[in-house]
Amino acid sequence: MTSDCLVRARGLRKEYGRNEGLVRAVDGVDLDIGRGERVAVMGPSGCGKSTLLHLLGGLDRASDGELWLGGRQMGELSERALAGMRRKDVGFVFQAFNLMEELTAQENVELPALLAGCSPRAARRRARDLLEQVGLGDRAGHQPSALSGGQRQRVAIARALANEPLLILADEPTGNLDSAATREVLRIFAGLHAAGHTLVIVTHDERIGATADRLISMRDGVFVDETWLTGGTRGRLSTLIGLEDSAHE
Amino acid sequence: MQQEVVLAMLAKEPAHPYQLRARLDGALGPLSDGLNAGHIYVTLNRLEKAGLVALEEPGTGATRSERKLYGLTAAGQERVSQWLSELSWPKPDLAEFHLKLIAAAAAGLADPVGMVAAQRRELLRRLREAQEAALVEPEDSDASLLLEGIALRLQADLRWLEACQKIWAARRAPHHGSER
Amino acid sequence: MSEQTPRLSELWLIFRLAVRDLQRRPGQTVMLVVIMVAATAALTLGLVLRGTTAHPYQTTRQATAGPDVLATDFPSGGGPAAGRAALGHTAPLAHSAGVTGHSGPFPVAFPVLTFDGHTDAVLAEGRSSAPAAADQPELTEGRWVRPGAVVIERSFADALGIRAGNRITLDGRPFTVAGVAVTAAFPDNGVGFLEGSSRWPNPGLVWTTEATAASLATRQYPLGYVLNLRLASPGAAESFADRFDPGGYTDNTGGLYVIPWQMISRQDGLLVAHEQTILLMGSWLLALLAIGSLAIVVGGRMAEQNRRVGLLKAVGGTPSLVAAVLLTEYLALAVVAAAAGLAVGRLAAPLLTSPGESLLGTAGAPQLTLPVIALVLAAALAIAALASYLPALRAARTSTIDALADAARQPRRHARLTSYSARLPVPLLLAVRLAARRPRRVLLGSLSIAVTVSGIVAILFAHATLAESGSGNAAAAANPGLSDVGFISQTARENQVLLIVTVMLAALAAVNIIFITWATVQDYRHTAAVTRALGATAGQLTAGLSAAQVFPALAGALAGLAGGYGLFLAASQGGSVSQPPAWWLVAAVLSTMIVVTGLTSVPARLSTRPSITASLQADA
Repeated sequence: MTSDCLVRARGLRKEYGRNEGLVRAVDGVDLDIGRGERVAVMGPSGCGKSTLLHLLGGLDRASDGELWLGGRQMGELSERALAGMRRKDVGFVFQAFNLMEELTAQENVELPALLAGCSPRAARRRARDLLEQVGLGDRAGHQPSALSGGQRQRVAIARALANEPLLILADEPTGNLDSAATREVLRIFAGLHAAGHTLVIVTHDERIGATADRLISMRDGVFVDETWLTGGTRGRLSTLIGLEDSAHE
Repeated sequence: MQQEVVLAMLAKEPAHPYQLRARLDGALGPLSDGLNAGHIYVTLNRLEKAGLVALEEPGTGATRSERKLYGLTAAGQERVSQWLSELSWPKPDLAEFHLKLIAAAAAGLADPVGMVAAQRRELLRRLREAQEAALVEPEDSDASLLLEGIALRLQADLRWLEACQKIWAARRAPHHGSER
Repeated sequence: MSEQTPRLSELWLIFRLAVRDLQRRPGQTVMLVVIMVAATAALTLGLVLRGTTAHPYQTTRQATAGPDVLATDFPSGGGPAAGRAALGHTAPLAHSAGVTGHSGPFPVAFPVLTFDGHTDAVLAEGRSSAPAAADQPELTEGRWVRPGAVVIERSFADALGIRAGNRITLDGRPFTVAGVAVTAAFPDNGVGFLEGSSRWPNPGLVWTTEATAASLATRQYPLGYVLNLRLASPGAAESFADRFDPGGYTDNTGGLYVIPWQMISRQDGLLVAHEQTILLMGSWLLALLAIGSLAIVVGGRMAEQNRRVGLLKAVGGTPSLVAAVLLTEYLALAVVAAAAGLAVGRLAAPLLTSPGESLLGTAGAPQLTLPVIALVLAAALAIAALASYLPALRAARTSTIDALADAARQPRRHARLTSYSARLPVPLLLAVRLAARRPRRVLLGSLSIAVTVSGIVAILFAHATLAESGSGNAAAAANPGLSDVGFISQTARENQVLLIVTVMLAALAAVNIIFITWATVQDYRHTAAVTRALGATAGQLTAGLSAAQVFPALAGALAGLAGGYGLFLAASQGGSVSQPPAWWLVAAVLSTMIVVTGLTSVPARLSTRPSITASLQADA
């Protein structure tokens, strides 16, 4: 783990409703994420992992607790500053992709750059590069309806990278994808991690969770387990299959 | 080495042991490392004794064993056909762990929930290894297909472990008072 | 097989389905009703007002025993001798052939009246306390003349704001106002056409005692005389007048001036005709606006109803059944709205008709006649049918599978607009892309503003034309201290009507804008949430949402300038047209834009209040 801490949360809480209808989606979470880490949060549905991600991404405000992103405390930020943070510091990838149907892939990807005040030319160039990076360079002019689920999610990932964010947050990125598309997305995430991006992925798919360096289990709004998946002895891959056993007969 | 696998590899045409090794490597990709080269020879010997393969005319390799050229006998062909049409499938071997947990709980020797968690960690590591290996392989290769299967099986096992965790934690709960 | 009973049950089913559908979205149903009630109320008001201004002269004539012929002689200068000569000219007509009754000759003086800072020339007709056989003015307030007290003619009184009990002066002498009355002997927009020699700009009319009138005569303005005649055949009044003053009643050259009642009626009629034109114009504009708003709301509703239509068809409903259900909903609403609109219009009418009416039959009791009811109902049904026919047809024709899958009208792609918008600052970028998603709605919004501004501009032209026609009066120029009372009262009435129409137009247009903005906001919720998640600020979104309405509205307002001019030209039918001052037009456009901006920014701002996550989870 690197020493500079990108995300820091203490006692984070998010509540909805009141009295009998009170729901504690996130109920006292402490979290530290360093630069370049790849963290996965897993848990059953309704455990609050998506809510936590929304809080980290500035899509929602915490009811209580403190949250720092890149050294700035998010609770103190005005709505405008928070929007700026969403533009510059955070890239969000949704389960439902949330692409604009009437825009092409390229126009979707360049949108955050335009919102950040980039010149149209620079934004377009950046969008092209990012689409190349995710392997969709030849589909830049297609609308989402002409793309498969996996391709759409790749466009969404490219969009999340548009403004070179500090942090990439993914909410069930492979939830709507089939096995092949999942592989594509995993490949891209591996590439991002290798390039030094910081990733926080929320998922209920163990295959995604296993790719993380750090796997946090969440239940009823709190963290219940944390597993480090790096380090330790690497077994020989061949032990995973059973072909050898019969050799000992 | 499962005997039928070697037999089937000779079905197309006779081959030298090193060729067989190469074919296996190709089919298994990274999973083939660690397979002892010697196992192939041992298996070939057994098959020869069983009359399923026979030596063809000797080749001109460096060592005597490598120069050997093996081919299928008629019995071997039949065995291969039979094997290919069998519908057997390896059984999921969950009973052992299941019994482990029960035994531990009954005897009070270990905490089932902790055991499940430890096993889960181990499986996650394996899953991670399998996925990392899969990323390296080309997209539609045989090896990547196998690795995918391994990953999916591990995922299924992990889900079962999740269910175990739920059940065993609930059984523990009355003793530990109110829990989240 | 009896076809009768299935028919009935089918009708009942249609009715039940329609009611159910309306209950599903109560907010929308309420909005639909509100628009239609606004439109029908406006229509009712217009029709009722039209009815009340239709035949004012006849009612007054009935009530006051109005004369068939007026014989007048107003000498200019010459002292008491001229006055006596005038009497000699008028009196003999009382015994002419065909005359069945008369009153007068009454002496008429020409004092200057002052009241509350206003100064006006008036005709002061001297009367006795005994009722006259012809032209006995009907009191609407107070009591008849007595020494020291006068009665003011009603339109004159309203123009200056004089009520019974007030104190006035005539030529400096103080008098009390005993009462206010109406008459059919003079047109209610002033008697200026009578005295012919343009001495005074359209003086008002008061009644005094005969002694007072006589005492008000001066050397310069000696007494004139008025004789009211009733004929055996009132229809022959014009030929009677011709006998004594051939061609004279179209051009007064001094001396005896004989006026048939038809001429007075026409004078009144002119005024009324003008008002009715304005009301009619206003009604058309209102109807247009109402259809526009309905089309928007209904169109949006239909898009949602696609899925329900699919369900209906999937369980075996024929396309005609589906169309019947949809039409039933809107027609039912139209009936309800028509009833409510009639009630509202009827209740509001007295508020508008009481002040400033000088003729009987118009104060206090506007009638909801059967033709009015029928017309309003028909209009409501027509509007509803028009607005819902096309969507119902389309819904009925959509393939069942498409409808079930709710293939919502996906916004179409506009490549050029999208790439062009990339160069704009963020709020405008959002505005252009938002407008491009639903171009028809943008057009409708723009048209609504165009219609409203057209109305306002036409009204400004009408106002300016009226002012111009008044100020062109030579007598006003000759007597700068005296106001043209008749003109004032006419202007007051016209302004009132214009104001009513303007207010109704503006109200309906405002409702329109709010609905369009609301519909847009609903439509855009999910996209707006995603855009905010990508980093747009709430302020940028609000500005974009607002700008997407405001710029088309500006285009509409500018188009309305031309449209209003054309509308007024058409309505004035070749009459004089004078241009209002430029700053009026600028102010009209500017104030419209300010209102539009305000009305659109409120829903826009409200739409950014819910959290991003909540909006993201809303249906895409």
